[in-house]
Amino acid sequence: MIIVPCPHCGPRNSVDLRNCGEVVNRPNPDTATLTEWRTYLYLRENAAGWVSETWYCRAGCRRYFTIERNTVTNEIRDQS
Amino acid sequence: MPQHAYKYSAAKLLRHGLTRGTWPRMWRQPEFKDTYDVVIIGGGLHGLATAYYLATEHGITNVAVLDKGYLGGGGSGRNTAIVRSNYLTPEGVAFYDRSLHLYNTMADDLNLNVMFSRRGHLTLAHTDSALRTMHWRAEVNKLQGIDSSVIDPSDVKKEAPSLDVSPNTRYPILGALFHPPGGTVRHDAVVWGYARAADHHGVHLHQQTEVLDILCEGGTGPEGKGPGGKVTGVRTSRGDISAPIVVNCTAGWASLISNMAGVPLPITTHPLQAAVTEPTKVFLPTVVVSGSLHVYVSQTDRGELVFGASVDPVGTYRVNGTLEFTEELAGHVLELMPGISKMRLMRQWSGLCDMTPDYSPVMGFTPVEGYLVDVGWGTYGFKAGPVSGETMARTIATGKTDEMIAPFNLSRFTEGDLVGEKGAAAVGH
Amino acid sequence: MSSHRLPPQPGEVIDRSTVINFTWNGQPVIGLAGDTIASALAAQGVDVFSRSMKYHRHRGIMTADHWDPNLSLQVDDEPNVRAGTRLLAEGMQVSTQNVWPSLQHDVGVLNKAVGRFLSAGFYYKTFMKPKFLWDNVYQSVLRKFAPGGRVHWKTSTHGAYDKRYAHPDVLVAGGGPAGMAAALGAAQAGASVLLVEMAPELGGHLCWGNDAERAALDKLTTAVIAEANIEVMTRSTVTGRYDHNWVAVMQGDHPLAPERLVKARVGSLVVAPGLIERPLIFSGNDIPGVMLSGAARRLINLWAVKPGQRAVVLTANAEGDAAVKDLQAAGVEVVEVVDVRTGAMVASAVGKSRLQKVVLEDGRTIEADLLVTATGWTAPTSLLNMAGNRPVYDPQAARYFPENLPEEILTSGGIAGNGSTDELIAHGSATGVLAANRSLRLRHSRRAATARSRSPEGPAPEALTDTRTPLRREAHPECYRASTHGFVDYAEDVSSKDLIQAAGEGFDSIELMKRYTTVTMGPAQGKLETVNAAAVLAESRGMDLADIGTTVWRPPFAPISLGALAGRIFEPVRRSALQDWHEAHGATALLAGQWVRPDHYGDAVAEAQNVRNGVGIIDVTPLGKIDLQGPDVAKLLELVYVNRWESLKVGRVRYGAMVAEDGVVSDDGVTGRLSENHWLMTTTSSGAGAVWEMLEDWLQTGHPEWQVHVTPVTGGLTSINVAGPHSRQLLERLVSNVDLSSDAFPYFSVRQGTVADVPDCVIWRIGFTGELSFEVHVPSGHALAVWEALLAEGQDLGCAPFGVEAQRILRLEKGHYIVGQDTDGLSKAPTAGLGGLVKLDKTDTIGLPELRAAYQREDLPILVAVQPDDPTVLPEEAAQIVDGQTATILGRVTSSRHSPTLGRSICLAQVAPQLAAPGTVITVLMADGRRIPATVQEHHAHLDHQGARQRV
Repeated sequence: MIIVPCPHCGPRNSVDLRNCGEVVNRPNPDTATLTEWRTYLYLRENAAGWVSETWYCRAGCRRYFTIERNTVTNEIRDQS
Repeated sequence: MPQHAYKYSAAKLLRHGLTRGTWPRMWRQPEFKDTYDVVIIGGGLHGLATAYYLATEHGITNVAVLDKGYLGGGGSGRNTAIVRSNYLTPEGVAFYDRSLHLYNTMADDLNLNVMFSRRGHLTLAHTDSALRTMHWRAEVNKLQGIDSSVIDPSDVKKEAPSLDVSPNTRYPILGALFHPPGGTVRHDAVVWGYARAADHHGVHLHQQTEVLDILCEGGTGPEGKGPGGKVTGVRTSRGDISAPIVVNCTAGWASLISNMAGVPLPITTHPLQAAVTEPTKVFLPTVVVSGSLHVYVSQTDRGELVFGASVDPVGTYRVNGTLEFTEELAGHVLELMPGISKMRLMRQWSGLCDMTPDYSPVMGFTPVEGYLVDVGWGTYGFKAGPVSGETMARTIATGKTDEMIAPFNLSRFTEGDLVGEKGAAAVGH
Repeated sequence: MSSHRLPPQPGEVIDRSTVINFTWNGQPVIGLAGDTIASALAAQGVDVFSRSMKYHRHRGIMTADHWDPNLSLQVDDEPNVRAGTRLLAEGMQVSTQNVWPSLQHDVGVLNKAVGRFLSAGFYYKTFMKPKFLWDNVYQSVLRKFAPGGRVHWKTSTHGAYDKRYAHPDVLVAGGGPAGMAAALGAAQAGASVLLVEMAPELGGHLCWGNDAERAALDKLTTAVIAEANIEVMTRSTVTGRYDHNWVAVMQGDHPLAPERLVKARVGSLVVAPGLIERPLIFSGNDIPGVMLSGAARRLINLWAVKPGQRAVVLTANAEGDAAVKDLQAAGVEVVEVVDVRTGAMVASAVGKSRLQKVVLEDGRTIEADLLVTATGWTAPTSLLNMAGNRPVYDPQAARYFPENLPEEILTSGGIAGNGSTDELIAHGSATGVLAANRSLRLRHSRRAATARSRSPEGPAPEALTDTRTPLRREAHPECYRASTHGFVDYAEDVSSKDLIQAAGEGFDSIELMKRYTTVTMGPAQGKLETVNAAAVLAESRGMDLADIGTTVWRPPFAPISLGALAGRIFEPVRRSALQDWHEAHGATALLAGQWVRPDHYGDAVAEAQNVRNGVGIIDVTPLGKIDLQGPDVAKLLELVYVNRWESLKVGRVRYGAMVAEDGVVSDDGVTGRLSENHWLMTTTSSGAGAVWEMLEDWLQTGHPEWQVHVTPVTGGLTSINVAGPHSRQLLERLVSNVDLSSDAFPYFSVRQGTVADVPDCVIWRIGFTGELSFEVHVPSGHALAVWEALLAEGQDLGCAPFGVEAQRILRLEKGHYIVGQDTDGLSKAPTAGLGGLVKLDKTDTIGLPELRAAYQREDLPILVAVQPDDPTVLPEEAAQIVDGQTATILGRVTSSRHSPTLGRSICLAQVAPQLAAPGTVITVLMADGRRIPATVQEHHAHLDHQGARQRV
């Protein structure tokens, strides 16, 4: 059970939150080609190391926020 | 088996027992050559099976299998060893059924007892909608000639007496998909069997050999990698190897290795945890799976209950395991079998699963010539090991994508033709 | 059985005045309070406690603690009880596990006769032919020989288990002198401390030590008890250390629960478990009467049990020397001390159910019934392994030491080095102070990052540097194997010869060797065996032990019961405010996702007919409801629904469908505009939570500039659908401030008003049933009053409740699809027939590019209504639609019911596009194998496709 530092609620057990995966940029849906769109849908860095990811504080403030986590060590550093 | 192979049998066991003679090595420690016809990255079940079928079915024996650790140290040695073919799509059913068939004759084919136990496989339904999906699977299965049917709670009780099938539980058992040919196989033995047989046919197995880079030329990316290019070999911790064909048969690290060839993959890596109890006298004859409760369980011949679950929700390369996995697991198992609360959990472990968006693998050719993949096996790689090896070998040998694996091509993610196994495979052990 | 109980010993933990009666393999026996099961039996002269797994050899006391491989016994309905640590209790029925028919006459001993053929991995090499024998006979025979106790699954129940959270600044794993001192040091430095010890008492090896050691223990114990900042748990185990110092403790000394899981978020973890004594490998090293020095010393000093009459002691260290003294003091004749440090060594032990003689390397044979060995230690580094640490082997000290620990983990005591009692206490104390400092700094930084009310006062404590004097690494001879071969893993019956054979076959890394031979895979999980196995591998490969590495110890440190892990199983069910009423009125309960709902009240068909012909009411509370307020709600709806919303007028309602970014249909429902800036959205029951979180995601991360408040009100509003030709008539009797006439309140409109004197209700003119219907959303506290008023006022109209099954019939007659049943994980908008709804010219909608792509395709399946040509044939839901007599699948039936209104079977089905044209005759494969013809209908609705009935 890792601790996730919610910017509003403070350090919380990870079961209080939901991991929403790594941060991806959404292309403009009106102008994106299908290839660009499907890259956004399916391709992830999946890096072994530091990643920027979104968490949702579902049992607390219900805010979405971004932190950096090391996927090899589970260390977390605050992006703010 | 070829002439030089040392055949196992009861008679041999007897002779060794009497003479106390030494057994020969199961596989050699081969010389490290700088050129092979085919280099396979990953000395697990998929890589070894591919090498074995290349050698035995297609006469391609100048093959190296590279592993950064020891044989079968990844998913092949960490899974819960369940096999079945009661999938949801006709393509899936045909594919896994071929695998089941290969498992059935494997002990004889490889001359090593892989202890295939056709003990029957129950997928429990706790809701109307789950029961509907079980019927769907049963109907598709029957059309493919698979022994698979939906049974009612009283028949569930006959197959697995320790299950609580009373209607007043939180997750009542409304029925189950029963698949008699499903069961368990001794997963390590499968790895050793393929390794030994591949070795006997001339394949080189290089353990403790880490691939550091995939060498390419002519591609649109940096260093000649990426689409339009072709593979020239690999760089390893023991030196470079040149090879016209490089096959990525890894799990956990598949997307990072594929990046070495400039071929990004639609994969996120998640740990899958498992656990085992202390042994007791055997009381659970079948494999039991509950999708709603995210748990599957079987009892080994040694009497241990082996448990698995669905992948961890947080993507990570960390295989430490978590306490909450064991808590949830125990709670859910006791929902199904309240009478076993005094059994003790002895060991938990985890492995890495490469999850694709449609819970189906990525197999075959890529935009880089000579670079093939057999990856993205999520939580179902063990079941598919033999058929994957067979079809990948055929694809490599013929230069044409084998029909069975055509639906699993990488291009489906750009063409939007995802495979429909998600419903059956999400917690599909 | 004669008594082996000694006269009172100075450190004994037994209470000689309290006799405990229990049974051993059915025979009544007695022990004393304070006895473990094993000590009580040993005191009664029991030598043989079990038979080994594979060869069914006699086995006796080896370590007399938790890790003893030979002391797993059945106690009542509990299998695999560790008799070395489990305290005796009145009335226990204790029995051996791995024998048949009895401990004395065990037929498994036949395995022993053929033991020479059962070498490592033998089962992989045989039983292959003939195949039918493997499938039907061999396997079931193998299963009969499974070791372990018996699970009483028929009669046992999940008992009372609770869990506890703890937040100690410092958790000390191990209550020996170093651990106790660490706890004191940390507590005195201001930290809250949890001190956990496996044994029934604190003290570790001091408990069975000499007078000076016991005096030191008394002093420590007094200080620990007096320290308010220390909580002590004995008979408890730190079973796991997980990321961010999340630590699991299995508490065994709780007065109520047999085991309690304590989950601790720990500032600093001090690992001070001491050392585990390691057996020597030699022929006969498992014969009852061969035991480790710790076992002999504990039997004598703690439980006053004489472990034998004539002893040989093999010693390589001070513990062995101390054992000689203890044995002599207990009146055991020590006939030979074999001192490894002088080059002497034991060659083998001889005996069957009890040791008879010991053969020495110098060729002498000595008659003895006891061989005590003290040949070295295993550092139990499990908790450090779990933190990613790999201990390093030191050949001079003949054991492993932790190195490069992370900040939040410290070690003290035997795992860190050797020392006198005073030195151990000093090191422990300094470790405690350091642990407290680190944890208090961490606590300060966490509070600083938390909400204002808990902000720390003052600055963080200054960081202390680690100035501890390291404990010595005392020289110790490397003794792993004598000149003969013996057992490495007692629980698994794996010998050193098996390991060497395995290495020769290519299983020459420790992990492969483990998997092939099963060494270290038994209940002790390598606590006794791992180092010996690695040593044998090193020997066989001609390598240094330091270069072999060991297997990684995984959690748990010691096995945990499933009951304790599960705790009190908390799987709540959601109930609407009316569920009690339903159950009191004969409703059959239906579990649907999180909710329990009324499936029917006895006759679903009659309930459906009553709706078609009169009026019925149904509780549809699980329907997801989300209150949306603000000036930008319409923009949000434009984004999340495939259709248009900006133009919706106040008081009007629209159906909306959602797709995910990949274009797959994800949810649907109606949304109404209550006022300019106030909307009420409905979703599917199962999708309510996900849609809510999705809306928040878009508002927070996609469009933070939009002003919208999102409030889920699913449970707050109880939803009652009033359906049937008489529904308006009924509702008019209860609603005074809303004009319900068709002109004033047309189909697909929404109003707010008072129903049955309950204000603030929302009244929708919508319906899933295809009849004239009104859906009333009532503040849940008043729901029952409204429900009962409807029934009372509607008595003359025949108003009756209807359940989920009747609703399913009615909606299928009307052709309404259900997301997730009639669509699946691949269904896109064209499949669901959303063509008229989807607006592809929007600039942003979730999944827009995939929506556009989907309408370019002609190969997507189409949802159609289907009627079997024979109206009495009812296809199963999930029946496959096939190509004639072939096995080619062209679709499937997704919903199927008998329609009471039409008097025939009706279905929805997904079919390949070439079959979707109205009038196409398709082939449905029934579960019984029949292939029946059915015809595709023009409209999804089997009934009233123009909606005349609902628009009246």
